[in-house]
Amino acid sequence: MNEPLLEDPIEPEDPQRRQFLEKTASIVLGGVMVSVPVGAGVATLLEPLASDKGSKLKVRLASIDELPSDGTPKLYQVVAERKDAWTKYPNKPIGSVFLRRIDEGKVVAFSSSCPHAGCSVDVKGSAFFCPCHASSFDFDGSTQGKSVSPRALDELEVDSELLASGEVWVTFVKFKAGVADKIEV
Amino acid sequence: MKSLFSWLENRTGIGAITKEALFERVPGGARWRYVWGSTLTFAIMIQFITGIFLWMAYSPSASTAWESVYNIQYGSSYGWILRGIHHWTAQIMVVLLILHLVQVVIDSAYRAPREFNFWFGVILLFITLATSLTGYLLPWDQKGFWATKVATNLAGIVPFIGDDLQKIIIGGSDYGHHTLTRFFALHAGILPASLIALIALHIYLFRRHGITEAKPATRAGALYYWYLMALGSLGLATAAYLFRDSNPPWVLWIPSLLAVGVIVRIIFLHLCGKDDNSARRPKRDGMFWPDQIFRDAIVCFAVLGAVLFFVFWKGTELTSPADPSQPYNAARPDWYFMSLFLMLKFEPFQGEFGLVLGAIIVPGILSSMLFMMPLIGLKKVGHWVNVVLLYVLIGGFVVLTVMAFKKDASDPAFIADVNKAHEQAGRVKELIEFNDGIPPEGALSLLYSDPLTQGPRLFATNCASCHAYGYDDDGNALDGTNKKLSDKQSAPDLKGVGSREWITKVLTIEHYESDEFFGNTKFKDGKMLEFLEDAELEEGDVAGLAAALSSEAKLKVQEDVDNKDAELIADGFVWMGEDELACVDCHKIKGEGGKKGPDLTSYMSRQWLIDFIGNSSHERFYGDDNDRMPNFLDSVTSEGDIKPGKLDQKSVELIVDWLRGEYADKKAKE
Repeated sequence: MNEPLLEDPIEPEDPQRRQFLEKTASIVLGGVMVSVPVGAGVATLLEPLASDKGSKLKVRLASIDELPSDGTPKLYQVVAERKDAWTKYPNKPIGSVFLRRIDEGKVVAFSSSCPHAGCSVDVKGSAFFCPCHASSFDFDGSTQGKSVSPRALDELEVDSELLASGEVWVTFVKFKAGVADKIEV
Repeated sequence: MKSLFSWLENRTGIGAITKEALFERVPGGARWRYVWGSTLTFAIMIQFITGIFLWMAYSPSASTAWESVYNIQYGSSYGWILRGIHHWTAQIMVVLLILHLVQVVIDSAYRAPREFNFWFGVILLFITLATSLTGYLLPWDQKGFWATKVATNLAGIVPFIGDDLQKIIIGGSDYGHHTLTRFFALHAGILPASLIALIALHIYLFRRHGITEAKPATRAGALYYWYLMALGSLGLATAAYLFRDSNPPWVLWIPSLLAVGVIVRIIFLHLCGKDDNSARRPKRDGMFWPDQIFRDAIVCFAVLGAVLFFVFWKGTELTSPADPSQPYNAARPDWYFMSLFLMLKFEPFQGEFGLVLGAIIVPGILSSMLFMMPLIGLKKVGHWVNVVLLYVLIGGFVVLTVMAFKKDASDPAFIADVNKAHEQAGRVKELIEFNDGIPPEGALSLLYSDPLTQGPRLFATNCASCHAYGYDDDGNALDGTNKKLSDKQSAPDLKGVGSREWITKVLTIEHYESDEFFGNTKFKDGKMLEFLEDAELEEGDVAGLAAALSSEAKLKVQEDVDNKDAELIADGFVWMGEDELACVDCHKIKGEGGKKGPDLTSYMSRQWLIDFIGNSSHERFYGDDNDRMPNFLDSVTSEGDIKPGKLDQKSVELIVDWLRGEYADKKAKE
């Protein structure tokens, strides 16, 4: 180590220049090398953005006779065939819906998910009430008093033809919480 | 920018740490042979990155592990690359570990005062192997399951504590949820954390003592290594050429280009040098950054290239879901444990003590010898003992590994098992695609309700003691799983049962009275044969009758033909009722007729076959004329007693659906 420096017989060129090339090459190669595993991982992680689109679903919830005639809302479970990543569940509970008979032969359906932040809405006295942030809604779905919810409860479509034959079929959709507009997700 | 940096620097000292890390002096200049530690650090970094992303998609339980890995492999667009990189980096890491160990030993970098660093390195080697071993089980496929069973059973033979140790490792006496949760915690938590801690210590000690300067490179030395590389790359290229038909063309091109590059380098070395013994490089000190890092980066890049080469060429295997009731005879550990696997087959390791000797004592002694190296190497002669020892160990490892693979490759039973395993893995994938998802009970349930998978197994176990299912090229009767019958065939061949060809044979005397059908039953002397002899049916007559009878089976494969030949079939039925043949004298046909022979209404349809297999002694079928065919379902005898059946309803249905060719079929769905 203490011997005098010999001249490099093969690479007599400028060491500064060589070092610069080495540095550049190392950084470029390093960047590529890290981006391969990270890229494969991130691509897999971001997969839901491309493939996981929510789907509308039409389900039979009740026959009209089961609903209280005085207009009190009744909660129904929505159970459907659903695929969760790899598992296909034949009967998976995916949400719940309030059904209310208003006039003879007319039924309205509300998603039980609070439009404020997505908590589950209850019936309390003669109003819908969300226990999380105390949003309250009239039985027609509209916000009550100082409710924090930015919009009324989300009404769901009831198939009128099937309703005429006494069956309540509802199109179950989820909406974005926390915004004033009703946006499907 | 500069002020931001000094603000950060004042508070964290990050610049100083980076400088400290990068500007390490490399005595004698940067060298290619110092790269192996860096390649290992790089490989571990890949494993951490890909491992954490895989973690986000993996679910450790006996009913979701395989399913989630299936989802990574086939249910997402790039998951197979992610899993492939993780899998193949683990394989290549073992090679890098060996190279690192060899470099450290031949360059004397393990000798005082670096003993502790060497010991940390050996521990790191074992932790890496343990991480691989635990990772092998996680997909919960047949391969991982059975290989891990062997590994954990070996843990069970450790003297005194074996039983308890095994129970602790697998979380009970049976393999299941807790085996996976434990292995996963080891694989993704405890072992990687220990790796980080030890690597930190390893690098700290390495920096404390500095690089052990290797002997200066001479041109002769360099040529020696390049010739070795030429030999290796030409070997690879030759192998790729020999197997060019079974691989995509680039599998041949890459090693060929590599070989050409190496040869060009050798020619260049020959053209430039004069004095073979002079030092090729001056003993000028280099710097870690960028001199050494540049070399590290290039070799790491090659490592990544090799990993990707295997990911795209070989893919990453996922065998069918773990099934403790279906032995997987092709189960093998990862390749670097194959030498140990083979060693256990040798004679000195037979018997109870032999197993302890081969699986625990011998590997224990060999590892102790590794640990002792720094102490043996205190003297110069000790160093040479170590070098020889290392080469002997590696030579033994290579020879045993090659022997193990050669042994398997020349074993037809092993190849058959591997093919069967691939078939089953393909089948389960087909079933999942057909079902558009996996049932909540897990993928194994798909295989268990699949007639194509279960039918042959059930047939071989329950039917093939009398019946055959087709014949091989030499005319040997088969049992449904392509094995020869163990006993002489004594009841009809059931391949294609209910089809026109099959019924045609039943109605042809030479087949009817041969071993193929009723030659070994008491029906050989029965009324049916008498009838056939009297009737003297012509070929065309038989075809019409067979078409009619076969249409009753409503076979999926014959649907088109049955529709097309509606007229022929109708004529056939009319003929069966006419006096000339008078099949209806003995048989019921379409609900009308005699009771002497089996009811042919809906003959060989799904329900007819289930009922027939359930109880062929029923008066609807053979009644008291039944030969040896047992009742496979619970039946009521003529005395009113209940006679328990050999099988349950589900199993009989699986056999029937398989015989009739009714199972999930990709082509049929399209």
